[in-house]
Amino acid sequence: MPLNRISIWSFFCHSSSIIEILIKWLKLLGEIRASLGNCADEKATGMLIEDSQVEGMENIREDKGRILVLAEREGEGIASITFELLGAGRKIASDLRAILSITLLGHEISDVTNKTAQFADEVYSLDHPLLANFEPDLYASALKQLCQKVNPDAVLMGCTLNNLNLTPRLAYRMGVEVITDCVELVIEPETGYLLCTKPVYGAKVLSTFKLRKKPYMVTLRPKAFEVIRLESDRGEIIHFNPVIDESLVKIEMIEKIKEESVSLNKAEAIVAGGRGIKDAEGLERLKGLIKVLRKYFNKVELGASRPLVDARLVPSSRQIGLTGEKVAPELYIAVGISGSLQHLTGILGAKKIIAINTDPKAHIFKVADYGIIGSFEEVVPALERKLEELK
Amino acid sequence: MKPLQIVVCVKQVPDPEGPADAFKVDSEAKKVIPVGIPPVINPFDENALEAAMRIKNQFDAKVTVVSMGEKLAQPVLRKALAAGADDLILLMDQNFKDVDSCSTAYVLASAIRRIDAYDLILTGRQAGDWDFGVTGLLIAEMLQIPVINLARKVEIRDDGIFVERLCDDGYEVVKAKMPALVTVSGELGELRYISVRALQAVSKKPIKIFNAVDLELDLQKLTQRTIYNLFAFQDERQCKFVEGESSQEKGEKLAIFMKKEGLI
Repeated sequence: MPLNRISIWSFFCHSSSIIEILIKWLKLLGEIRASLGNCADEKATGMLIEDSQVEGMENIREDKGRILVLAEREGEGIASITFELLGAGRKIASDLRAILSITLLGHEISDVTNKTAQFADEVYSLDHPLLANFEPDLYASALKQLCQKVNPDAVLMGCTLNNLNLTPRLAYRMGVEVITDCVELVIEPETGYLLCTKPVYGAKVLSTFKLRKKPYMVTLRPKAFEVIRLESDRGEIIHFNPVIDESLVKIEMIEKIKEESVSLNKAEAIVAGGRGIKDAEGLERLKGLIKVLRKYFNKVELGASRPLVDARLVPSSRQIGLTGEKVAPELYIAVGISGSLQHLTGILGAKKIIAINTDPKAHIFKVADYGIIGSFEEVVPALERKLEELK
Repeated sequence: MKPLQIVVCVKQVPDPEGPADAFKVDSEAKKVIPVGIPPVINPFDENALEAAMRIKNQFDAKVTVVSMGEKLAQPVLRKALAAGADDLILLMDQNFKDVDSCSTAYVLASAIRRIDAYDLILTGRQAGDWDFGVTGLLIAEMLQIPVINLARKVEIRDDGIFVERLCDDGYEVVKAKMPALVTVSGELGELRYISVRALQAVSKKPIKIFNAVDLELDLQKLTQRTIYNLFAFQDERQCKFVEGESSQEKGEKLAIFMKKEGLI
């Protein structure tokens, strides 16, 4: 049996919130996957209850506070982070005895709105032709109008590239501060203030901020929160029509270029290369390893630290770290990666880390579970062969 | 035609590429203390400066670099002048200590308003220390100008500014009228090489320094960030090294290990 780090750590340091966060991350992946499975099933059987649809805003409950979650759209559906936001939102809502609301923005979104209703006490549907695509000027304006109307205690959004463009502006217009990239949210029992923790200094430090002014506005790091469990009651769907027009749009879209769509955050295993990889030939070796790992894992992806992306050997969509993806695979194999702070912040959630590096002093070994000191040109092909043999 | 007025906002941070043990945490004082690593210009702000320099190569442009802090290291920020910026303005005041993003944006916006007819403001997408990624957007809100974030390419053409910006599934080409603010991502490219000679050449160049009074700031609007708790995050795992005579042997052993330890 492998050393069970989780139980040992909990034994020694169960009172420390740092450890709790780490443990949470380590444990999380399995749970996320399990619950996501549930969500997908429920979507397929989701029933539509006509009665619960209420046009207009007459039925807004004013006797209770509310936690507002902004649904993150993905294609025609909902991105998985939405369920993490809801999970975090439900916890705060019960602490504050508030109701949990989810907000969807888009156009012709009644299907997805209906499916979402199973996860919250109420659903605000902002269905408008101008909201069909993410347009920060319009989204900020529409959300501000909604916030002014429904007066949420907190607004929870995903820490995504799109939201980087939205949340500061929404917060400013609401006269509050936004704390981005949070990994833990706690309501201070005696005051009801929100304590939110985020990694700073390349994840070497965790900082907890206290938000006093409502609405508490935060963005949450993907994979850091448990997803919501399916609820028995369906939330009420409320249609809200924001007053927006095209004149609010200050940025003109010329064209959109879709690049290779990589979902590193869904990978079960990641083989990532760094500065040590040097050239396309080195990259081919990593791809060989990925190929054989696919016999063991459902989804294996190539990742990279910043030097490989800067050298244009790997597209930026595969970058892992502070400005790239934050990942939480079962297995992370770091090849030729020294382990700079900016990279390490992206792999905190990885369950097991294997590092291959020629430099025994490389920082990556400090965060790895297994290490090999040696040249990847020899280690990787041998590893690949043996894995093939063992299957 | 008058020269383009470009403003670049830069922040001084402890070198984020520094080793992990260089950051000590004083939980009592709620401060991060960098040990033995020099302050640098925030890397994303260097990308923003590079964007400005590329425009200056093409057009008649004046580049003003603005930085704000409680104490700023002049030699560090002079690098911007060596890179080709025309003016360096430091905003220094005791009152700027540990202020939140909104206050920082307020100070910077107040300084920028004093720059005559600015056309373009460039900032880094986020700072390498507190990693909020909001200041640039807040400045644009305060100045009520269009904002484009996460730029990987910035170009000026006759009728406006054209930007390639990162988005979740690729990139977009967008356009805005100037004046506008653009936040720049690392994909744009690193700041050009700066020689020692270039640094020496600007070592005596005058720098403008303003404080809160000079900027006629309303001190009521400056609020400190309320840090409730600050602690070092140790994700150090016990690394088991796979030993062997050769790299090849180690590779094979690792595979066996992975099987045995249930990694695969």
